[in-house]
Amino acid sequence: MTPIDDQTPPDGLGAAGLPGGAGLPADAGLPADDALVLGGLELTSSDLNGHSIDELADYYDAGLTPPDVSIDDSAGCQIALAAIARLRALTAQLAADDEASQSGVDEGWVSGILNQISLQARAGRDIPLIEADSTTSHLVITEGAVRAIVRAAGDRVPGLFIGRCRFVGDVTVAGEPVVVEVDASVLWGQSIRQTAEAVRQAIMTDLARHTRLNVVAVDVTVHDVQSAAPDARADGEGSADV
Amino acid sequence: MAPISDADDRTLAGRAADGDVRAFEILVRRYAGLMRGYAGRMLQSTDEVDDVVQAAFITAWQQLPNLADPSVVKSWMMRIVNRKALDRIRARHPHDELGSPASRGLPAPVQHSPEAVAEHHAVRSALSQVLAGLPEQQRQCWLMKEVAGYSYDDIADELGLPVSTVRGLLSRARKRVISEMEAWR
Repeated sequence: MTPIDDQTPPDGLGAAGLPGGAGLPADAGLPADDALVLGGLELTSSDLNGHSIDELADYYDAGLTPPDVSIDDSAGCQIALAAIARLRALTAQLAADDEASQSGVDEGWVSGILNQISLQARAGRDIPLIEADSTTSHLVITEGAVRAIVRAAGDRVPGLFIGRCRFVGDVTVAGEPVVVEVDASVLWGQSIRQTAEAVRQAIMTDLARHTRLNVVAVDVTVHDVQSAAPDARADGEGSADV
Repeated sequence: MAPISDADDRTLAGRAADGDVRAFEILVRRYAGLMRGYAGRMLQSTDEVDDVVQAAFITAWQQLPNLADPSVVKSWMMRIVNRKALDRIRARHPHDELGSPASRGLPAPVQHSPEAVAEHHAVRSALSQVLAGLPEQQRQCWLMKEVAGYSYDDIADELGLPVSTVRGLLSRARKRVISEMEAWR
């Protein structure tokens, strides 16, 4: 059995007005706070072959592997596992309901977040816009602004989304060689090679136009190939360096 | 051209880490419902959800540049929401230990007879009430494990409790929820 070491007093089963205690014999009183009652019967530790409910939940979560005959051959454990499975399904539905009930996002609430974060710009390093031999003027563009240029260039290329962008090299010194590394996901059906080449060219062109960075390479890492209607999940780590 | 709102989480989190407010807005809209639903369960109140989840998203924006793997942004943000909700619960009772058993002045869950609950949502409403009726620490452990997907060790870290205590709380919560829900099969 699991040790009971929290300080919560027993406050009774069925106290919420639910029919949880309805199946109990009237003279049984309320079962102990930590009793497992299924089908109107209290399942004891021996009914569960000595397993605790959290062991059974962990076994269920592990996909009933590795096989444990002391669980698989116990009628009590099987009843408890079935109850755990039902509860899992119900919990998933409850969480989905909770999410759906909150789906109508209040625009003022969203604006409240965006207004706050907009004040916290990510400027990054200062990148000189004037040749190193100029001693009279100091003109810089921030790293954050150059990242925005890279993203905008990438967004002009159909079938691809630009993610994170890094500049490798000392961008604060004019003329230093810089490698641009971008993360991207490509829509299903595109040629990864052609799309990556198009985005490389677009980034090179725009950086040459708007900055004095000495870009020696643009490395595009395609981390995902996603269908046109994504399920908004970022898994399927189909990384391919091009 | 596909709109950026179709982009995957990793792309959006990467852009947001680089300072793209629009990409972050898409993440906010994508997960606001999930985060608000979870916070509401954890807080057992709806009037604090706005503040807690808003604060969580702002913290997420600030910390995104430190997120090593942007593809896990959803579960990472869920943890920030969880932490903000726990902070808020602690702030309600500055002199109590987290989760001491007092009913904490929260409104009692509305009680309905099974017949009174609309048929379609009856079982889920019942689960909702059973969860609301759990002692606070049990409910917190249960939500973190079953809804937010925390490990026992991570729950122990978040709540500042020994792992054995977390296991005990979860064990009691599970038995009680399973037992009370059994009538709704």
